[in-house]
Amino acid sequence: MKHKATLIVIMAITLLASCNRNKTDETAKQIDTIPEIVMHIQKCSRLYTAEYKFHKIITHLDKKTIKASLFKTDMSFDIPMSQRKIAIPMDATVKAYIDFSNFSEKNITKFGNKIEVTLPDPRIIMTSSRIDHEGIKKDVSLVRSNFSDEELLSYEKQGRDQIIKSIPQTDILERAKMNAANNIIPMIKLMGYDEKDITISFRKGLNNNINNLIDKTTIEHEK
Amino acid sequence: MKNKNKSRLSIKSLISNVAVNPLLQVAIIAIAAIIILAGLYWLNKDNSISIEENKKIDITPTMIKSIENIGEWEFLQVNDEELTDTTRHSFFGDDKLVRIYYGTLRLGINLHETNKDWIKVDHDTIKAILPPIKLLDNEFIDEARTKPFSETGTWTDKDRKALYNKAYNAMKARCMAADNITKAKNNATIQFNNILHSMGFEYVKIRFDK
Repeated sequence: MKHKATLIVIMAITLLASCNRNKTDETAKQIDTIPEIVMHIQKCSRLYTAEYKFHKIITHLDKKTIKASLFKTDMSFDIPMSQRKIAIPMDATVKAYIDFSNFSEKNITKFGNKIEVTLPDPRIIMTSSRIDHEGIKKDVSLVRSNFSDEELLSYEKQGRDQIIKSIPQTDILERAKMNAANNIIPMIKLMGYDEKDITISFRKGLNNNINNLIDKTTIEHEK
Repeated sequence: MKNKNKSRLSIKSLISNVAVNPLLQVAIIAIAAIIILAGLYWLNKDNSISIEENKKIDITPTMIKSIENIGEWEFLQVNDEELTDTTRHSFFGDDKLVRIYYGTLRLGINLHETNKDWIKVDHDTIKAILPPIKLLDNEFIDEARTKPFSETGTWTDKDRKALYNKAYNAMKARCMAADNITKAKNNATIQFNNILHSMGFEYVKIRFDK
């Protein structure tokens, strides 16, 4: 009788365990099937004329510092052995484009055999950025925790912002305008115009507002 | 002289009063305690102690690696967000890293790939043969815009690279669908029609190179 009871208990435990295993498998399957959040499709007509590839090494150093204010006296001191540092190599691609979506007859002036095409202002956009994960170097003190994913992404975002801030120091707008002409003039030549009769122009005073010409999708995440 | 003697007498009488009057003693002790407590509060009211760390990156130079003259005409832009995860199973439980990647795939034509006479004028008609629609840039993820979602356990830079590749492949597979290529093609035809009409041509014929 005793043996029978023991057998029943063992069978029940085995059955319960097998049920639990099935549940775990289902959960594991669910983990890897996270779908995309958003896909936004937009029709456009943009002629990209200049491409700049930037390289930057993001560096960060931090120590834990105790800051205290006691009896109206401020004091601060670094906790020994609390230093961490990291260097993250990063590449980014910035392009300049002319938006042709509102291009019309208003942009063209003809007098005799001559043609003048007034192009819209070039715009600047960061099209991609990439972290060289294999090139990352870090030094973390024994008493400190490793860099978290949130910290790493925060440093990378700050590096991206520094690259965007350095764009006005380049000659990307001048190059974009020159290359726009280099792309458009051969097209117009194929339409039967002589090269000397073709003028490509932009509005005056463009260079003063380079920061306004950076595409909003590049800087909207700077908030 | 008389005044001095008077004030000495009044202090002496006050002390003798305090010595014999317990209520006065309690009142004086209470006033003294209030003054001391107020003083201590004033000295300590701004006391604080905190452990701080620098969260900013250093200012380092940004180098220009290359400059290229390009002629990429974009007709369709696909903005994608990809929630990508990786899980590591172990005896003590599962570790998980989840990130949100952002990318923009640009479909269009490369003007540097056009034939020599890709635009031809025949009386009042203009004919253009456009190169095939393709993905204009294989680097389309803005990795520095990636957002952290969750992290348990310890992950290496190699794991992060693998996660990037997973997001890259998923985005490319989804966005390079035949439907999107057709949309880009149709829009290219509309846009080139508009530009060539604006140039003064009455009849425009657009076709794509095979």
